[in-house]
Amino acid sequence: MTLGELVARHQIVISAGSGGVGKTTVAASLALWGALEGRRAVVLTIDPARRLASSLGLESLGSGERDIPAEHFRAQGLVPKGTLAAMMLDQKGAWDALVERHAPPEARDRILTNHFYQHLSQSFAGSYEYMAIEQLCALAESGRYDLIVVDTPPTRHALDFLEAPRRIADFLDRKIIKWFVRPYFSAGWTALRAMNRTAGFLLRRLEQATGIAALAEISDFFSSMSGLFENFQTRIDRAHEILRAPGTAFVLVSSPEEQVLGDAEYLSSRMAGLRMPLKGVVLNRVHAEFRPARRGRSRDEIGPEDVEQVADTVARIVGAPEARELAANFVDYQVLARGESLRIEQFRAGLARGVPVVYVPNFARDVHDLASLAGMHAHLFGTRAAA
Amino acid sequence: MLGATLDRRLHFVVGKGGVGKTTVAAALARLLTRRGRRTLAVEVDDARRLSALLGASGATGAPTPVAPGLSVVAVEGRAALEEYLGLIIPVKRLLATVFSSRIYQYFVAAAPGLKELMTVGKIWYETTRLEGGRPAWDAVVVDAPATGHSLQYLRMPQAARDTFGAGLVQREAAKVVELLRDPRTTAVHLVTLAEEMPVAETLETHAQLVGPLAMPVGSVIVNRVHHRRFSPAVLAALREAAKRAGPEERALVRAVCERAAEESGWSDINAAHLARLRAAIRDVPIVELPFLFVEEFDRAELERLSRELEAAGAERAAVSAVGP
Repeated sequence: MTLGELVARHQIVISAGSGGVGKTTVAASLALWGALEGRRAVVLTIDPARRLASSLGLESLGSGERDIPAEHFRAQGLVPKGTLAAMMLDQKGAWDALVERHAPPEARDRILTNHFYQHLSQSFAGSYEYMAIEQLCALAESGRYDLIVVDTPPTRHALDFLEAPRRIADFLDRKIIKWFVRPYFSAGWTALRAMNRTAGFLLRRLEQATGIAALAEISDFFSSMSGLFENFQTRIDRAHEILRAPGTAFVLVSSPEEQVLGDAEYLSSRMAGLRMPLKGVVLNRVHAEFRPARRGRSRDEIGPEDVEQVADTVARIVGAPEARELAANFVDYQVLARGESLRIEQFRAGLARGVPVVYVPNFARDVHDLASLAGMHAHLFGTRAAA
Repeated sequence: MLGATLDRRLHFVVGKGGVGKTTVAAALARLLTRRGRRTLAVEVDDARRLSALLGASGATGAPTPVAPGLSVVAVEGRAALEEYLGLIIPVKRLLATVFSSRIYQYFVAAAPGLKELMTVGKIWYETTRLEGGRPAWDAVVVDAPATGHSLQYLRMPQAARDTFGAGLVQREAAKVVELLRDPRTTAVHLVTLAEEMPVAETLETHAQLVGPLAMPVGSVIVNRVHHRRFSPAVLAALREAAKRAGPEERALVRAVCERAAEESGWSDINAAHLARLRAAIRDVPIVELPFLFVEEFDRAELERLSRELEAAGAERAAVSAVGP
């Protein structure tokens, strides 16, 4: 299967991988491909570079999708058969919207200013990821799109994204929350102390150590929010279902750097275990190794030991004083490319059969407008979209 | 300028994912060790890459020597909290009961920033710890976690100080904040690439540090800078000549030309974003580290980078001594 077929056969494509590998750009490029090919596509992005954001019509953060107007495409010489919309994940806004929907009006302000709520909505591990999934579900259920491409948050371990629903579910476990919503809790640990002398003693020390305010706030938060958590499990089950649906494909984006590729390897092995198999791989920012045709040569590699010979060839052709520097630069890139291809070879050996792997070169320019996103298609799909 | 910064005891190395932050932290630790400072390199959570780069194998839950004058330690929030509670509840059996209770587990997950605070608290403890009447370490280098928000950890002590009511945590947090803000002790080093997104985040982080966080920035370290430029005229001549060359040479000359264009391109991008950085950040040294063309980044490359860091620092120091 090719990456093109993969995108054609799926309704949801999730671009996963470590931070700093160009995930956002790849996600935008995949969605654009869909739009050019006639799909109703949307890309959910997390933290696009400013110029990419503005070419997607996302100058300001805000909830909801924005359609990219047809004249944007025409201005860049593109004629889409379908449509493209973009949406930027606003984590804080998404949580606030959830509160608005579920909390009783009189409790809203109390919740929004609650320290614990602010922690949960802004920095709790998994909260960002969870909200991305929550938005994905909303887009999927809207029925407005037949291709949804999701860029995942920049975490060190991309696996965090997949495990977010479970983590949030554990966190919002109702059996535990029950403790916190008992009214006596806001007054302190008195009731617990009465229950068990040992626990009481320890919790008193804990309370001294930490200050009671935090506990009171947690209790207050859950008391006000109990409506929201009633149907939380249902939502989490739904998220799991969407992530595992046959129409959902995970595409791993990685650079050929050692550390990043190592993370990618780990991710792909764990994904199989989570029953969310990897269906495609995009290797981004790859340096090509130059291999001369075999004819008349004993070796098919050019490395640092050949620098003089390359310099001679270049000097003979242009006679430039830069010949040596040009040759030195060339063999430097050969060394780089060699390391990459060895690592990639090893990585590919560990992949399941039939998973398409595509290479995108390390463009020496920022990819930020629709035309340059379309320029990636030659590498991603082996061709430009039919215009 | 970097020279004076290096005399401080606590170095936080921060930066977004993919900029080589851990590598720079390791290079800085090596540099400090070479200068005869008893150095502790700290990695946070379960990263394990810093210790691997510095040559550790196995667990590093407690400071572990990896070379003369250099130790590494892995700090994890939950473990640090348990250690801390161990100090205030000195009955082992009771502690075990606490740690296994679900309410405690929950509390740790839910309390805003408690784990982060404990992590920074543990680093504070190592930084201020005395051994035989003098500080246990001359230098502590922290490879801060590369989260979406690299400042989350540094922000926490202040958040905790403001969130928690009067109590031990609040007092501890206040002490930690004081140390983090002391320019005689602490330096935050921002690692970045000279590209659009990393520079944008670095500028944001710098503004946060000098603004609301009031923490001393030590330097900005720009990693993987390309420096070679080839004149467009030479590249054009080469491209033309390739057309006339024999088939074997043609492919080679084209490849030479492409790589030269690529290198020039990256050099231009790097130069533009470096200029952006230099225009916006004028109060701290901006140090450049070269892009290394290697098959695999290993300890030899780390040593090379560490020496580049030292040289870059010395150059800047010389320039600033002479004055503009």
